[in-house]
Amino acid sequence: MTSASQPLPPAQDERERLTRIQIDRSCRQTVVWYYSSAVFWLLVGSALALLASIKMHSPGFLAGWEWLTFGRVRPAHLAAMIYGWGSMAGVGTLLWLQARLTRNRLPFPTLFPATAIIWNLTVAFGVVAILAGYSTSIEWIEIPPSTAILFGFCIAVIIAASIRMFRSRESRHTYVSQWYLFGAIFWFPLLYVSAQIFLHTPAAAGAVKAAANWWFAHNVLGLWFTPIGLATVYYLIPKVIGRPVHSYHLSLLGFWTLAIFYNWAGTHHLIGGPLPAWLITVGIVGSVMMFIPVVTVAVNHHLTMVGHFHHLRHSPTLRFVVYGAMCYTAVSFQGSLQSLRSVNEISHFTHYTIAHAHLGVYAFFTMVMFGAIYYVAPRLLNAEWHSAGWIRVHFWTTAVGMALYWLGLTWAGWEQGRMMNDPRIPFLDIVRFTVPWLWSRSAAGVLMTIGHISFAWLFWNMLRRRGAWLPGPTLLFWKRSPESLPEGAAE
Amino acid sequence: MAAFYLALWGLAAVLGATAIAALVWSIRRGEFDNLREAALSIFDEDEPPGAITDAFPARHPRSSRRP
Amino acid sequence: MNRAWLLTLGVLATLIASMTGLVLLPDRQLRPTAPVRDEDRDITLPAGYFGEAEEGRRVYMDLGCIYCHTQQVRPEGFGADLERGWGMRRSVARDYIYDDPPLMGTMRTGPDLMNIGARQPSAEWHYLHLYDPRITSPGSIMPPHRFLFDLRRSADGLPADAVRLPEAFSPGGPAWIVPNPRARRLVAYLLSLDHNYEVPEAR
Repeated sequence: MTSASQPLPPAQDERERLTRIQIDRSCRQTVVWYYSSAVFWLLVGSALALLASIKMHSPGFLAGWEWLTFGRVRPAHLAAMIYGWGSMAGVGTLLWLQARLTRNRLPFPTLFPATAIIWNLTVAFGVVAILAGYSTSIEWIEIPPSTAILFGFCIAVIIAASIRMFRSRESRHTYVSQWYLFGAIFWFPLLYVSAQIFLHTPAAAGAVKAAANWWFAHNVLGLWFTPIGLATVYYLIPKVIGRPVHSYHLSLLGFWTLAIFYNWAGTHHLIGGPLPAWLITVGIVGSVMMFIPVVTVAVNHHLTMVGHFHHLRHSPTLRFVVYGAMCYTAVSFQGSLQSLRSVNEISHFTHYTIAHAHLGVYAFFTMVMFGAIYYVAPRLLNAEWHSAGWIRVHFWTTAVGMALYWLGLTWAGWEQGRMMNDPRIPFLDIVRFTVPWLWSRSAAGVLMTIGHISFAWLFWNMLRRRGAWLPGPTLLFWKRSPESLPEGAAE
Repeated sequence: MAAFYLALWGLAAVLGATAIAALVWSIRRGEFDNLREAALSIFDEDEPPGAITDAFPARHPRSSRRP
Repeated sequence: MNRAWLLTLGVLATLIASMTGLVLLPDRQLRPTAPVRDEDRDITLPAGYFGEAEEGRRVYMDLGCIYCHTQQVRPEGFGADLERGWGMRRSVARDYIYDDPPLMGTMRTGPDLMNIGARQPSAEWHYLHLYDPRITSPGSIMPPHRFLFDLRRSADGLPADAVRLPEAFSPGGPAWIVPNPRARRLVAYLLSLDHNYEVPEAR
């Protein structure tokens, strides 16, 4: 099964091993800063999520305080999760991936942790601003426009590091994950800055601001989170099971069709809305064409995994990443269908959309990020996770919790939409119908939060090196003794 | 304002055309050959194809608790 | 696929193309949109927001009303917005020319508010509804906004817009709610939401 037991030319073996250790070591400070921050925001975002969820079915809960009113807690939750948890876990992962793929040390070991601090302060500023009543009231970008400068600076450092590592790479080949990551780091700043310009200056006006809003929001999902998520899946599945990606040709096709079609899907958020029909139709076309990259990626990942699903039993990373990859396929298919007018007529404006959104940002992206952190952290800190039991708790609570979340709100939202389209049904009857399902969402949320607390506990113990000590990356040296280590490999 | 839009449409057209030209150029240059090698580029001597590189903790016979 | 610049160029091109198509071109098309003239009343519509209504719009935004309420009436035959009495016609881009930013919303946990000023023209109704939505709408899950009001137990020295709470909601005896400035502005804004005028593109 493994060829590590075959003898290798010692010099080459030593050099390769040292390089990977040095690569991982160079990432330690930066990535650990970003991951720690991400876990912090995951907890903050989960608390805000539970608060928002409870307030929906029990509106009197903590209703006396203006800064905790539902209309502020909900966007604060969004900001903490998107710009805090999601983006920081994403940045940590993308930096490590790029170092591994270019086989270079991560540069700027002092500057990068500084960017993590700046990023944290920016997110904190944004969340506090929303709760204090300074929300811009534009979905996905409620945080003040001045944050563009701060995020822009951090991304500039990321771009500089990426280009530097790429230019001095030793391999002629550029792995598929690298394309996605290059895409992400250039798309995000351009999107964020131009969105702030369109939304807060006369560059766009009136109803067009809504188009700009959803061009931005949908593209943050598709051109920032999705590429980072897919890059991670493309690297980790082959790495964990020891099999190369099934079809490299397919992955090429998948990347460019994503880049072309995803960009145009944004206006499907405005179907039936007060914008020119051609604009809405273009969005629907882009959304349906997304079948191509999504099927491509799904086939590729599935055929890579086929015959190897039994590894899910022994690899935490694989569990989270495969769950995430499957949900990527599911949420994208659902999204393409949802953009058809006949479906949209029912699902628009309902809890169905919320379930769909969480299938994307949570079941796909967040689960993949969990998988990435499970793989990367031991390699940076030279320590194993301290408890397999807690990992299992984390996986099952989040996997089952997310499934319950999606099932409850999808059913509730669909019925809600059907009833809304029947004018004989009084509006408040529809509201009454949804309430038990909103309770089920809170229950699912509690389950998921337990998972997050377990994860934070595991991560805290990882930082304190409570797990078994390993002289090298996980599993690498288990056939060797500590004496055989090259110099500098330990710690 | 018209000049602004013209510049932007122009830029979009130029970039689009460049993208297509770049695609044709790169196919001609053989960038799309040898993709199998690219797929294998994430492996190396110590983590070769076939090596499993992840497991739940406490499955390693030789790892020891930190002193 | 091994040249970084090739990749970067392609990446930027795809984004600029969609920005052009989805934002710049629609802006070009819609920017000349002007208000319509109502000859009988000698005004142009939409009228825009002034004074308390304009400030109320900001209160609507900072309290996050968009997360449960939409402001877009869908066309005939697509959903039942018109049948529910949410407007006399579908919403058009012209309705939003003074909306900066437009507050179209994406969730209907509560009803559409595009024409709420026409549907509920009573300030008193709005004050009661904001104070505790269950007063006017039993079974509502909208959060109470009591922080927008002062509660008074005596009728002495009450301002003109004070509203008496129904008995069921004032267990300790008679009570009045006095809207604070933010409440007044918010309600002024809500009452200004009336787009029931004719436009050529939606006859």
